[in-house]
Amino acid sequence: MNIYPWIGLAVAILALWKCQVFTKVILPAAVGLVVVCLWQLACDHLLSETNPTPGQTLAAIFEIDDNGRLWSDAAASLFRVTWGFFLAALVGIPLGLWVGWTTRGFEALNPIIQALRPISPIAWIPFAILWFGIGDGAGIFLIFYASFFPITVGTMAAVRNISMVHQRSALNFGLTGVELFRRVVLPAALPQIITSMRIALGVAWLVIVAAEMVGMDSGLGYLINDARNMGRRYDLVAATMVIIGAIGIVLDLLIRKFEDFDEVRWGYVKR
Amino acid sequence: MSQSNTSAKSKDEKVMEMVQPKVVFKNVSKTFETKGEDLCVLQDVDLNVAPGEFVCLLGPSGCGKSTLLNIAGGFEHTDTGSITIDGEEITEPSDRRVFVFQEYGIFPWASVWDNVCLGLRKLPKAEQKRVAQETIDLVGLKGFEKAYPMELSGGMKQRVEVARALAVKPDVIFMDEPFGALDSLTRLTMRSELIRIWKQEKPTILFVTHDVDESIQLADRVVVLTERPGRIARIVEVDLPHPRDLASPEYARIKGELYELLGVKDWG
Repeated sequence: MNIYPWIGLAVAILALWKCQVFTKVILPAAVGLVVVCLWQLACDHLLSETNPTPGQTLAAIFEIDDNGRLWSDAAASLFRVTWGFFLAALVGIPLGLWVGWTTRGFEALNPIIQALRPISPIAWIPFAILWFGIGDGAGIFLIFYASFFPITVGTMAAVRNISMVHQRSALNFGLTGVELFRRVVLPAALPQIITSMRIALGVAWLVIVAAEMVGMDSGLGYLINDARNMGRRYDLVAATMVIIGAIGIVLDLLIRKFEDFDEVRWGYVKR
Repeated sequence: MSQSNTSAKSKDEKVMEMVQPKVVFKNVSKTFETKGEDLCVLQDVDLNVAPGEFVCLLGPSGCGKSTLLNIAGGFEHTDTGSITIDGEEITEPSDRRVFVFQEYGIFPWASVWDNVCLGLRKLPKAEQKRVAQETIDLVGLKGFEKAYPMELSGGMKQRVEVARALAVKPDVIFMDEPFGALDSLTRLTMRSELIRIWKQEKPTILFVTHDVDESIQLADRVVVLTERPGRIARIVEVDLPHPRDLASPEYARIKGELYELLGVKDWG
């Protein structure tokens, strides 16, 4: 066997080892390719024929796109997540700021927040349906619930972490009331608030799929259930999973854009 | 040594007699309770500071010098005695007396300009702009108005903090080891810069340090505190013109005196 091509490949990899294109694009893509190959190998040698191959899954993605359900179901899920998440941020951030800053507020509300927090949003599905019926209302409620606790608790913790020197600086220059919140409390907590929103959005995207599988008649979660029930189309199930993953990545990339603002960049370096 | 002792004491009395003292520490004591035990950190501290005077509080770590400054700043309270500024007892923080912290009290989320404007909120816009620019120029940060603290070196961050304090034209500036986190060369530069600014603006400065050289290079008078509980061991007058000649025999004599008061032998 001629070993020279292999030596050439090794040299090329070494040369590229620290190059941006290699570390950010080629390397992750190569790992992805390996995973897809393993998937194909498993289908060929281990799994029953019911399991979709990567090729069948890709074909199924086009099928979902063709029959229009990709956009309608993705839109239904995104609609619920957007509203639930938005409302949770709207209530959770001010509440977290206030509870985090005032000792009395913390003492009064922290126990109930901590008590409700470990109850999985999934466990609320029966009540959500009882109160809002099958549909967007129940979905939005569940996403609100799922995002509310990470956002509120994260904001609270952020405020309670504000450094002593910054608190004293604020006191020293006579900041009070709204001005204190606008100039010190909110900006000091903002990097961590954005992080907690990122976590909340991740959780929301997990929860919406489960909620739609159990208690809704549209959305990507419903699409998974539908595909399995109507003719055991596991290729459609896998295709929907890939779509869910892709949308999740895009959502995370979007919310991470907040981390680039000058006002919060200080919170993400060298911690 | 006894000579400088008496002259320093008489200076403290002179401040009382001749001019209205700016800051008066009277009988200040402070005890903290930790784990059920009482820890006396300050005991009967009496001190008069003249307007425009630069006073260093020098002492070993944990001697209560920072606590003394925190009380004077209104962040903590005395158990007995009082601290007054212009005859008015200090009960809470105010922008008439501004703190400069060691660990960067400026806001990392705001630009240099916005940081310096913090204390100027109530001024009319035009006036605010004028004072902020003046102060930024004074501390040598011209051109960095739009920069954020994370883009600045440690020394420049402290310049921002000094500017933020100076902008409100405070009666007294409290500095709690402000250059402690800087490298030794930057520290030297910052000392001479501080003296330049102080000579121009003449604020009263109370400066806490555990660095003997720093105190001699900066202060009109060095107040040496004992180990816990902190008491004034001696007030040493540094009657040398700025810029101070670090090789002069008088400098060496004061340095020896301070080290001896701090209980350090073999200081070189």
